[in-house]
Order: sequence, then structure tokens, then C-alpha cells
Amino acid sequence: MAREFQRGHKARISDLTAGRDLYVGVQIAGPGLTFDISCFGLDANERLSDDRYFIFFNQPKSPEEAIQQLGPQAGDTDSFRVTLDNVPPAIQKLSFTATIDGAGQMSQVGPGYLRIVAGGEEVARYSFTGSEFSTERAVMLGDFYLKDVWRFAAVGQGFDGGLEALLKNFGGEVAEEEPAPAPAQGATPGFAPPGQAAPAPGFAPPAGTPAPSAPPAPAPPAPQPAPAFGAPQGTPPQGMPPQGTPPPGTPHGTPPQGAQPPAPGTPQMHGAPTIAAPIAPPGQVPPPGQVPPPGQVPPPPPPGQFPGQQPPFGQQPGQAPPAPAPYGQPYPAQPYPGQPGQPAPYGQPHPMGGVPQGGGALGLQAALSKYREAPTGQRWTPQNSRLMRVDLGVGGQPVLARQGTMVLYQGKVDFSYKGAGFRGRIVGNATGQEMQLMRCTGQGQVFLAENAAELHPIELQGDAICVSAENVLAFDESLHHEVRRIEGHGIPGGALFTMQFQGTGTVVVKTEGTPVVLPVTPTTFADSNAIVAWSAGAQVIISSQVRLRRSAYPGHSGETVNLQFRGAPGNFIVVQPYEV
Amino acid sequence: MDQQMISGFAPAPVAARMENHGASMLKVAMQSGQDLFARTGSMVAYEGFVQYEPNPPAVRQMASQWLTGEGAPLMRCSGDGLLYLADYGANVVCINLNGDSLSVNGTNLLAFDAHLQWGVERVKGIAKFAGQGLFNVGVSGTGWVALTSRGTPIVVDCGRGEDETYVDPDALVAWSSGLKVKGKRSFKASSLIGRGSGEAYQLGFSGQGFVVVQPSEDSTDRLRARG
Repeated sequence: MAREFQRGHKARISDLTAGRDLYVGVQIAGPGLTFDISCFGLDANERLSDDRYFIFFNQPKSPEEAIQQLGPQAGDTDSFRVTLDNVPPAIQKLSFTATIDGAGQMSQVGPGYLRIVAGGEEVARYSFTGSEFSTERAVMLGDFYLKDVWRFAAVGQGFDGGLEALLKNFGGEVAEEEPAPAPAQGATPGFAPPGQAAPAPGFAPPAGTPAPSAPPAPAPPAPQPAPAFGAPQGTPPQGMPPQGTPPPGTPHGTPPQGAQPPAPGTPQMHGAPTIAAPIAPPGQVPPPGQVPPPGQVPPPPPPGQFPGQQPPFGQQPGQAPPAPAPYGQPYPAQPYPGQPGQPAPYGQPHPMGGVPQGGGALGLQAALSKYREAPTGQRWTPQNSRLMRVDLGVGGQPVLARQGTMVLYQGKVDFSYKGAGFRGRIVGNATGQEMQLMRCTGQGQVFLAENAAELHPIELQGDAICVSAENVLAFDESLHHEVRRIEGHGIPGGALFTMQFQGTGTVVVKTEGTPVVLPVTPTTFADSNAIVAWSAGAQVIISSQVRLRRSAYPGHSGETVNLQFRGAPGNFIVVQPYEV
Repeated sequence: MDQQMISGFAPAPVAARMENHGASMLKVAMQSGQDLFARTGSMVAYEGFVQYEPNPPAVRQMASQWLTGEGAPLMRCSGDGLLYLADYGANVVCINLNGDSLSVNGTNLLAFDAHLQWGVERVKGIAKFAGQGLFNVGVSGTGWVALTSRGTPIVVDCGRGEDETYVDPDALVAWSSGLKVKGKRSFKASSLIGRGSGEAYQLGFSGQGFVVVQPSEDSTDRLRARG
């Protein structure tokens, strides 16, 4: 279970996980905002003394690949891979930051998080929302820092300037002060290449640039047409040309990879920050680590000429293969088996130096303590995402629950049959929205769950909500409930029925999987099987795709009847990822 | 292949005999001489040299008491390497016993060290009503045990309230040995005419200890059902 961090919390990473190969995911979003997520590798004085450890969209990894930017995935706006054992000793701190690209301020940011995943399990999560910030344009989210051992700190500190100011704060240099032929537009960070024919950051080494000692190649190396790793997949700054499409007119051509004699046979997926950009000019390669002046139009290199200066982080095919990543762990995470020159340790027998017998907390109590019940004084308490505890003593009114959902109870609780009444029975039989309910009365705590479905308590304060009857787990008896009917052609059974709850109290809704809550807009549709609930203010319309002939044959879309919702702003619908 | 998407799922280095990989996979570091009993069919992957012996003689003797009378649903795993076990996506809880003793529902037992003391226990009355050949395994000693639970389990202390703790037998995962168990029927006459509350039978626990409960009443033994 992930450990929740608050702003200012710190912990040793070894306390969070035994893993040293960490995945750091950042989710941050706001309406109309784009973000640059970066990682600063700072020295002991908290300065960015080596620009190669400024990991951002144009430089997606550090020289020894201890820090790699992976781009958006798995729900994260951006993500990094940090191999702590490979971080050079000069780097004492890794600061993860998010900056707004373009106009905007941090207070507009919705709920986001920074999380650490190790061994397939999320071990730490620091959540934040925009309400913690004001007019800042950047935020330092969290730090990995070395103090005897590597530690993690949830920082959450806003920063007034953008990425450029942040970079200056860390002692980095922004090369924009140099006279540039094409000034960066507006709020674009200074080192973002302007959207001209030269999106090349100067420090990008040509993909597959041979080492100086290598024999000359007849053809100039080409950029990776489809950058698999190095491309800033996240939020490219404004003015950045689309990835993978070199600007027309740059005469570099795209010979296939195999046509490069000195290049290794396999594509260098991450040997160089493969930016979809023309080749950096030979001889004009700025010293590595220098952020290049924008707008410098590099002429295409003449064939056969090679830069005399080799950026140290480029791959050097003519030389010894890059040092194998010093994965000293018995089970290295080696995600790039295709990389030439690196041993693929998966096939090897592990150096099994004895099984550690200890590890972890000792004893029964320690192992189970994280699953302990969490009593609060409240009537409804979620124990975890799938188990609800209701304290009948609080509030003093009975609870109606679906039959058979009790998994445990303490105290004197009586379970009795709750009939729907005569009229209810008739309606129930006719509509299929009959619920087999039981009434829980007495004094004590009842734990409710069903089939490990996710549970969501919804507290009603005089308002109303419609819930599909299959998705109701339990509710306070004080709530008024009735069956509502939605008519329409094309629905199996002739009509759809839902339960409407109204009054003051709590309804517990269960969903298979994590649901999505959508605001009702003029174009909100939902599958009638997957819909869980909607606010009662929304009006439901059946929209059926009438394609009689198509549906008679195999191969139709299978989505024939949809529900469309209309309503004032503020209404919402809840949909589960499961079609009952 | 571009593997960056899955780079977060590489196994963490071994730190203990049993560890979770994610919520629902168990990783056991195997070494010769330290055998393991695991549910038959629970292996999903292994690295190294691990051998499996289904229905070993030691188990067969114990299993003769099992009500179902089928082959024992345990296998002995031995060798060197890394063993990954899972039970159809159920959550896995690994426990390092330190002289404690625990009674586990047979369906929810995933694996345990072979050197632990263990035995099949019959819970009074429970099999009769649950009708699913429920057996319980008592485990004690010093070593590792892994349990499964459909959904994140919850641990409830007994003896805290003045009254007993009642558990739905289908949702019960394990309890600390030493608790007093008794069945409780909440049949009423109304149940017979179709007006039952759906909660006909519970197990009441009293004494000092805890009960582990899963948030699901799905107690089907998937590993066995697969045959």
C-alpha cells in the first residue's frame, strides 16, 4: 500500500522499498495548461553544477542513464526512472519540478500527485492540489536527496518564475541572453527552440555520431525518425514542431539505420537524446551541458565530416561499448535488452547469495498491522477501497443493505428481511429493479462488502441521485428511495429502471473497477450497461443508433443503445469500467 | 521492443524470503534445504532451478483428514531460484511468523515454509453448513506464511467489544489460534418462507486475538476449480 506523503514529509527510501530502481510518476494537469516536468540533479551545494543532470524534454537522460525521462504513461503526465545506485556521487539531490508552459498559474492546477513505484508496487505518493498554490508558475514537487542514504522529501514549494527562473535558481545557465536571431516567443522558456526550421538544440548529438577515431562514414547520420525514448513526449513547448517530422527543407535525408556503416546494427534507442531535429553542426557543438542558444540554425553537416568534439553523452559506436550499467543487484531491471553493448542479465542465473531469512517486520502483528481496522467516530467509515464499516450506534437509525453483504459484525446487531412492501414488490417484479434488502438494527459495527467491488460512500444532503439498483450496496434508512423508469425504444426489456435516492443520509455505491465521473455536457453519452449513477438533475435521453441492417450481420459495433444526458452545469454521471 | 512502458514492473531486489510484487503476486526466494509448500497450480513463474512435487507423502497423510478426499491441494517446491505465486489476482499478504500461530482457511492459504508446524483442523460445524469442503490449516512456528484475500483484507481485534465478533464464513481468511469459535445460526422462521436476511450462519469468535476478513464473499477455490 502506498504511503501517503504530505508537504514537508521526509522518509528514507530504504524504508519505503528495498528497490533501488525506481519509477517516479508525476501527474499534474489544469484546464488549458501544459506542463514541463523536469528533474534537476544538484550537487552538495544544491547547484546545478553539471548541466547534463538537468533532465527535461530536450535531454531525457543523464550520461550514465541513472535518471531517465520516460514520458507520459500509466496515467502520469510524465515519468522518470531513477536508478539510485548509478547516480554519480557528485549528485546529491534530485529535484523534481513542474513548470507551466505558457500562460497560467499554479492555482489553476487540479489535483495531482508525485508517486514512486518500485517492484511493480506504488510505495509512496505525495498528492497536491492547486489550492495550495497561488500565482506561482513553477513548483518543486519532491526531492530525492542523499543524506547518508537516499531519502525522499515531499516539497510542494511554489516558485514564482517559470522554468527559466527555476533553472537560474539552481545555478544553471540559460543561454538565451546571447543574441539570438529568432527570439523565443512570449512565455516560452528561453531554451525551448522556437518553431522555426531549426528545432535542434545544439547539444543534441547526432544520432549515431561516430567517435572521432572511427573511420569516416559516407553518409551523415540521420536522426531517429521515430524517437522511441528521447523524444519529449510530455508537453512540448509551444512552437516545437511535431515529433518525428523533420522540418521540410532540412537537407539531411533519412537513410535507414542500417545504411550507416559505423552505427551498430540495432537502432540506438537511447544512446543519444534523439530529438526529431536535424543534426547539430559539426564543430559547432557547444560544450556539453551548455544550453544552446535558440534559433541557431545549424547547417546540415557535409558528409564525411564529423564533429571534432564529441558530446560525452553520445554513444560511441566505434569504441568499447558503453559501460554496462552497474546493476549490482541480483535482479537487475534491465529494460532495454536490445541495447547493444549491454549485457542482458535476464538469462543469467542470479548470484543467489543466500536467501535472506529476515527482512520485513517480524511477527504476526507486524505483518498484519497495516490491515488493521480503522475506527473513527463516524457512522460510515471506509476501511479500504472495498470494505465499508458502519457504526449503527452513531445516528441510531437502521441501515438497509443488500442481502448477504455483511462480512463481519461486532455487537448486538439484528439482521432482518426488508420487504419492499406490496406496491414495491409489484414494481420490483415488473422492473427488475427489485433489491433484496436486509435491515441491520441494533448497536454495533457492521462491515459490508461484496465481491471485492470498490465502494464509494455518497453523502446526500437534501439532494437526489439516481443509482442503478445493481450498484447499490447499502444506504441509510432515512433516505427516500423509489424506482424511476426511463422509456425508450431499443432497450432490451422496453425500459430502463433506476433507483432514485433523496433526502439526507449516505448511499454506498459499488463499482467494478475505478469509475469515471463525467460532467454533463451537451454531448455526454454513456452505455446503459456501464452507467452506475447520475445526479438526479440530469435528464436522460435514449439515443439509439438505428442501423437495422448492420446489426443483422456480425461485425456491428455492439453499441446500439446509449444514454444521453442533458442538464444544467454541475450535474454529473458516474460510469464504471465494466458492463454488467 | 520498446520496454520503457513496463520498466516500473521489474522485480525489486530480494530482501526477504517472501515478498509482495505488486498487490497480488508473491515472490519467494528459494534455496535448497528450505522447501516450501504451495497451493498446487499457484505458480505463475520461476527463475532458477525449482522442482515441484505434487501431493508429497507428508501431505497425503495429513490430507486424509480433509473432507473432500481429493488429492491434497499442496505441492512441495524445492530448489534454488525465485518463485512467483499468485491466485487469480487475489491480494497476497505475507507474514513472518515469530513463534505465533495462525489458523488459515484452506482456500486462502497460498504458501508456507515446509519447516513450520502445520496441521489440518476441522472447524466445528462449519463444513456442514458452508458445504464447500472447508478445511482450515493451523500453522505455527518461526517462518513465512502467505495468505490470499479477494480485495484488501481487514484485521479486526476480538475481545475489544463486550460482545463476540461474528464473521460470515465465506469472507473469513484467518484468525489467531486461541480464539474460541462457535457457530451461530440466525435462522428464523421467516427464513423458511423466503424472507431471510441472507445472513443465515455466522462464526462467532471470542477471546483475545484477531480475525482477518476479506471484502468478498467469494470463497470458491479457483486453484482447485481449475482442476
